[in-house]
Amino acid sequence: MIRTLAFLGVLALAAPLHAEPVTVRDAFDRSVTVPEPPQRIVTIFASNTEMVAALGLADRIVGIEAYTRYPPEVLEKPLVGGRLGFSVDEVVAQRPDLVVVTPSRQAANQLVDPMQRLGIPIVVLLQRNVAEILSNIRLLGRLTGVSERGEELAARLQARLDKVEQRVAHGKKPSVIMITGRLGNGLLLVTRPGTYTGDAIVRAGGHLAFDAGTIAQVSPEAVFNADPDLLLFAGNEKDMKELIGRPGWSDMRAVRSKRVHAVNRAELLIPGPRTIDGIERLANIFHPPAATQ
Amino acid sequence: MRVWSLLVLALLLSVLIGASAGHDWMSPADLLRALAGDTDVRSRLLIDWRLPRVLAAACVGGLLGLGGTVFQGVFRNPLAEPYLLGSAGGAALGATVALLVPLAAPQSFMLPVLAFAGAWGATMLVIGISRVAGAVDAAGMLLAGVAVAAVLGALRSFLMLALSDETVSLQIVLSWVLGGVQTPTWPILGLLAAISIACLMLTLLLAGRLDVLGLGETMAIAFGLNVNRFIAFAVLAGSVVVAAAVAFGGLVAFVGLASPHIARWLVGPLHRPLLPASALVGAIVVTLADAIARSALPPAEIPLGLVTAVAGGPFFILLLARRLRA
Repeated sequence: MIRTLAFLGVLALAAPLHAEPVTVRDAFDRSVTVPEPPQRIVTIFASNTEMVAALGLADRIVGIEAYTRYPPEVLEKPLVGGRLGFSVDEVVAQRPDLVVVTPSRQAANQLVDPMQRLGIPIVVLLQRNVAEILSNIRLLGRLTGVSERGEELAARLQARLDKVEQRVAHGKKPSVIMITGRLGNGLLLVTRPGTYTGDAIVRAGGHLAFDAGTIAQVSPEAVFNADPDLLLFAGNEKDMKELIGRPGWSDMRAVRSKRVHAVNRAELLIPGPRTIDGIERLANIFHPPAATQ
Repeated sequence: MRVWSLLVLALLLSVLIGASAGHDWMSPADLLRALAGDTDVRSRLLIDWRLPRVLAAACVGGLLGLGGTVFQGVFRNPLAEPYLLGSAGGAALGATVALLVPLAAPQSFMLPVLAFAGAWGATMLVIGISRVAGAVDAAGMLLAGVAVAAVLGALRSFLMLALSDETVSLQIVLSWVLGGVQTPTWPILGLLAAISIACLMLTLLLAGRLDVLGLGETMAIAFGLNVNRFIAFAVLAGSVVVAAAVAFGGLVAFVGLASPHIARWLVGPLHRPLLPASALVGAIVVTLADAIARSALPPAEIPLGLVTAVAGGPFFILLLARRLRA
């Protein structure tokens, strides 16, 4: 009797009872169904890996791509792709029951079609603004069978965003240019509106000096002309100093008034939970706490 | 006869190697199990993903071999290659539009269609321009081809800069331009196979006249061949073949150039045996190159055109050395 009970107990623990299929709509408006909560998840890109890990499911991740650096507990997982693209073979070899991708580099292009043909659920996520990061967290929670955790996490992050919004609501919004990269020919990559990074700057109480335009590359001259209140450099201090040490830069208002800041790439260029940390930090740069009190 | 059976055997062997090759190598036993209808995901990967791609690679290679032979025959130049008359630039422009512009039809459909239309359209444009300019001979067409290719290349680069952003990556376009066989569904593969056979038939119709043209234009005229008309027709036929290859395989460097040369060593210069031999050589080369592209650098896939170019460059030098010595 005891043995039977123990057996039943083990059985109950091993198999979540009545796993219902879950269906969601992804960013490509595809209907994605998982028959039961996925246990082997391949997460392509740091953002998707971080979101799944933030839901407490790092141990269910069975594959990542080569440029994922966080969180530490997933770094030993098998690599299924990198700079040169993504491998259908390697993804299938992990025998995943869910693949999470973002249409960046060639990921969606290379993986959606084969996974669909092989009947492996693959969900495509987009992050065009900060709200979509939160809705992605909720969607991943639903899909992986931990909806409450997803809702809680998203609500916590939303509360922090609300707090920032209140704090910066009445301050004067500085005009900002964020430099995210430099090209060999001297052109700069800058953050544009309509991106989650642009949205992060706005939510932190700044406004984008380049508020139009779809081409991310601009000449340094355009940056000089825009002469923003604040210059952000996504990268380390050393590279930032090297850039603003170049001829012409010292005349900029932001450089003269020492309002040039190096900011964390991982927080502002990976659309995951850490983006909220980045927004809080930006808010402190735009509206220093001492000054607002 | 022995050459033919060797070629066919080599093709079968390279298809087998291609089917085994990948980041996850499959043994012949795995292959047999998959072919017997095993439903494990690894077997289904083989049947639904890898095998169609390997066979598509063979078809693309065959088409490039045919196209290269026609172009070398028409221009009577060992350096002539299938992408000579603007088809590469046109196909790349069509593919860029398909990959970067959100269109109503699904991308998997628009990509081959627009690549084909671009390749074919660009060649038509080249022939049209050389007609208007009154230079319908080979040299006139080549120059018009260079001009059209320059314009199309600039258009494509502009589209790439203007239309790419965080979600639509330039890498997708770049890797298409560097060549890579799209994995077709089985019905589409059937279509590709049918197209390949039709192209073989079409080019075989040209074989006799290509041989005559090979004697020199004066001689060909003496044999009663309307040279300019035939050149225009052969170029159009050749570019259909190339456009079909491009639609399914992107731009694969060097195969169209090298296959006819290898085939000439094997079966001689007459076009009736040369065309099918060149197609077989092209099919073998692309199937093996695709196997390398898929398996060499896990977890990445090297663009196919890079593999063929790396192998093709030294081949080209060899060719040059042989000619200089001769």
